[in-house]
Amino acid sequence: MSRTILPTIACNLDADILSASLPLLEEGVVDALEWSFDALFRQDHVIPEWFHDLLTAYSNEGRLIGHGVFFSLFSGRLLPEQAAWLQRLKQLSRQYRFDHITEHFGFMTGSDFHKGAPMSVPYTSGTVAIGRDRLQRIQDAAQCPVGLENLAFAYSLDEVKRQGAFLEQLIEPVNGFIILDLHNVYCQLHNFNIPFEVLIQAYPLDRVREIHISGGSWETAVTDQSRSIRRDTHDGRVPESVFELLEHTLPLCPQVKYVVMEQLGTGLQTEAAKISFRKDFQQMQKITEQFLEHHSRMDAVPNNFLPEYSLPPGQVIEDEYLYGEQQILSYILEHAAGHAEAMEQLQHTALRNSVWGIEKWQPDMLETAIRIAQKWK
Amino acid sequence: MKISKKVLGALVVGLAVQASSSSCDKVQTKPEKAKKVGTENPANQQPDTAYNCPACGMG
Repeated sequence: MSRTILPTIACNLDADILSASLPLLEEGVVDALEWSFDALFRQDHVIPEWFHDLLTAYSNEGRLIGHGVFFSLFSGRLLPEQAAWLQRLKQLSRQYRFDHITEHFGFMTGSDFHKGAPMSVPYTSGTVAIGRDRLQRIQDAAQCPVGLENLAFAYSLDEVKRQGAFLEQLIEPVNGFIILDLHNVYCQLHNFNIPFEVLIQAYPLDRVREIHISGGSWETAVTDQSRSIRRDTHDGRVPESVFELLEHTLPLCPQVKYVVMEQLGTGLQTEAAKISFRKDFQQMQKITEQFLEHHSRMDAVPNNFLPEYSLPPGQVIEDEYLYGEQQILSYILEHAAGHAEAMEQLQHTALRNSVWGIEKWQPDMLETAIRIAQKWK
Repeated sequence: MKISKKVLGALVVGLAVQASSSSCDKVQTKPEKAKKVGTENPANQQPDTAYNCPACGMG
């Protein structure tokens, strides 16, 4: 069986992304579209007809994939907004044929459902149960394969090493898959000084159906001015190192079908930035083509990433204690002046000496969490 | 994947209408014919692109 890997653009209803992508769309080189379908809430979920037509063109070819942002998979409580999110997904899945649906790993900080940023959770049997329950609900709503993206952010090295195995446990009941975001991997390689060969093997590579590449930014570490922290801000060009990671990773992922280029519209406001975006896409496309020239046959048995038996979700799994802890942590991250103040406050909460392991959190990463949470609150 | 000229043409016009709008600038653009998800009834609402931004990069 021959392999297909589709060069894809992450595309929202965003004038800058769309105008940067237009020449590529006209050239016919964008083989699939990834749409963040839940970013339309400010427009009362209204899609302009011209954008609907673009989505439909890819949908009709089975090349439209959905990428959720705001579901907050690990929220300890299943909120009414999440129920509405699932309902909208169900509705959209009747209108468009998604080849798969994905969400981010983590829970969202922020009291508003449409604000905040994804942060990690403790890896426990309780969080596995919540994550599995929510994934099953997404699968039930969308009736297509579902997957989770690895998170760029981590508080500690231990968390980085265990994320891949945790993701594997989460997706197992729905026969789900992983989006391996290579810029997120790049962030972890740099921020935790871990070799690629070690980190990449910590992920279930036979479960990777989608790969993301993007750019990001550097920030000086607060505890050591000579050190920098890499953040997944998606506002710049794809670093050459990330392209190299793509070359090294493609041969390790026998089920990969989509390679997706992501960039925020905020980084695409000049003509020069738009040209660079297209060059990055072309480089991604070239790497993919070169890989396929040498690996045209699919040696692994294809996985359809659908569950063998699809049962409707049962009783909602919730953890009020976890929900309370998430509220406390979100508040501290969104209001603390810095890592020292945040840690001092955390010491007086239920997170102290708990499964959250705050005692192992690296100060620079806590500082980064504060900056991320305050950026998106 | 080849996209039809009709779809591309509509995209060009759609982008031209909101040419003055850019991501995250919180500028409201002029109304145009739009499609409500899950219905066939067009609504006269135009996207505010301000909150499309965090769709993927939340670092």
